[in-house]
Amino acid sequence: MTNNNFILERLALGQKYLGLLDDSGYTLVDMNMIEPFSIDDKYHHPTSVVFERNNTMYAIRSDWTRTLLNFNSNFYSNDTRFGYFGPVVRENESFYQAGVEIYQATENDIIDALLMHMNFVEECAETNIKTLVINNDQLLDLFIKKYDLPDTVRQLIYTKNISELRQHLGKDHDLYKIMSAKVSDQFKMVGEVFGDTEIMQAIAHLKEKIADNNTKFILDLSFRSPQNYYNGLYFQAFLNSNTPILSGGEYNSNSFGIALNLADGGLL
Amino acid sequence: MITVALSKGRLFDDFVSYLEKYELYKYSKVLKDESRALYTIVDDIRFIFAKGPDVPVYVERGVADIGIVGSDIIEEEVFSYLNVSELPFGKCHFALAGPPDVEHFNTVASKYTNIARKYFNSQQQPVSLIHLNGSVELAPILGLADGIVDIVQTGNTLRDNGLIEYEKILDVQARLIANKQTFYTKEDSIYEFLSEIGVIE
Repeated sequence: MTNNNFILERLALGQKYLGLLDDSGYTLVDMNMIEPFSIDDKYHHPTSVVFERNNTMYAIRSDWTRTLLNFNSNFYSNDTRFGYFGPVVRENESFYQAGVEIYQATENDIIDALLMHMNFVEECAETNIKTLVINNDQLLDLFIKKYDLPDTVRQLIYTKNISELRQHLGKDHDLYKIMSAKVSDQFKMVGEVFGDTEIMQAIAHLKEKIADNNTKFILDLSFRSPQNYYNGLYFQAFLNSNTPILSGGEYNSNSFGIALNLADGGLL
Repeated sequence: MITVALSKGRLFDDFVSYLEKYELYKYSKVLKDESRALYTIVDDIRFIFAKGPDVPVYVERGVADIGIVGSDIIEEEVFSYLNVSELPFGKCHFALAGPPDVEHFNTVASKYTNIARKYFNSQQQPVSLIHLNGSVELAPILGLADGIVDIVQTGNTLRDNGLIEYEKILDVQARLIANKQTFYTKEDSIYEFLSEIGVIE
């Protein structure tokens, strides 16, 4: 990397972002990139580079979420909101990651954090976030339970395999109708089936809160998070790039993280 | 504008015939005329012409928003994209084939070793697999393998080389795949095209 402007802009953006987090009451964290590692973590962090020294397993930091969990368990911090900016290594590539982790996050905490990040990105980019895509795996669980569907339906949903869904469910099935409709219609259609559930109400609150941002809001049951440790609501937000500028989700039942893409999300 | 990656060769011809069946002559006419070009543009759609195994790469990376590709390629390699729909053309199948009177397959040659491995594992049959990039019918003729796993359409190539089909392994047909991100960011254009070619009603 020899592009002076790009390097300086990235650092300036990181500093501006950390300044926002500092002003908003987040605890800023910087940690050693070499971390103790349990081989059990490999499932959730398959791209981690793992090595052994003196009979102890270590990994190069591949995800700040895990780093922060380590930090909290080692230092017994009472803080619940953390911010970070620094490099991570996945497979053979390193890149910068910035973001926040919130523990004991309430629905309002999640909405506030997401809005703060969307506004930050929009201010820096001088344009609005074009698309916010959201999902919660528990919604598909609800469909499977309500309609007594086989588990094999999951893979068809995940891959948006419309033709096979039609063969398996029939063209009049609610789930087929939802999956073959435009993705931006899914929120309304899923709401007609499960609108009174806590999950859909939380998603509806979020949609309502970002209504002023002029962002297209999409709920898509096929949308999958690249992080397989998310077990609640998760999302990706796009500027003009095809890679998300923001991504994140709920994990460990009441923790929530947001990552800001400082590489190819469209800000730099 | 959206970009549609098309597999060159037989699947391309089948796709053009499919478009004609739907009376989408604005596409079929241009595609027929441009078969030697790298890409062509019709209205708001850019068609790029790629080798079959490259189509999922273009779609996964977002260079193309949609791809038309044989399910053989989807089954053989692992990619990350939306596997939206089967298409009613490009039908053929994978088969285990070899010279007549083979009692047991110990060594099998194929361009599609992952599909072959999956099949033999499902049969609980240990075999040694040899990867070849083409003309796999040569392998049993020259004694390199007992048999082959390959795509069979009419069976003429097998017959011409003195081989017979032992087992049908997997149906193959054309599929429409889509990039995971641009499915959202270019939703309107993508759904318009999907509707136009009859993938969704």
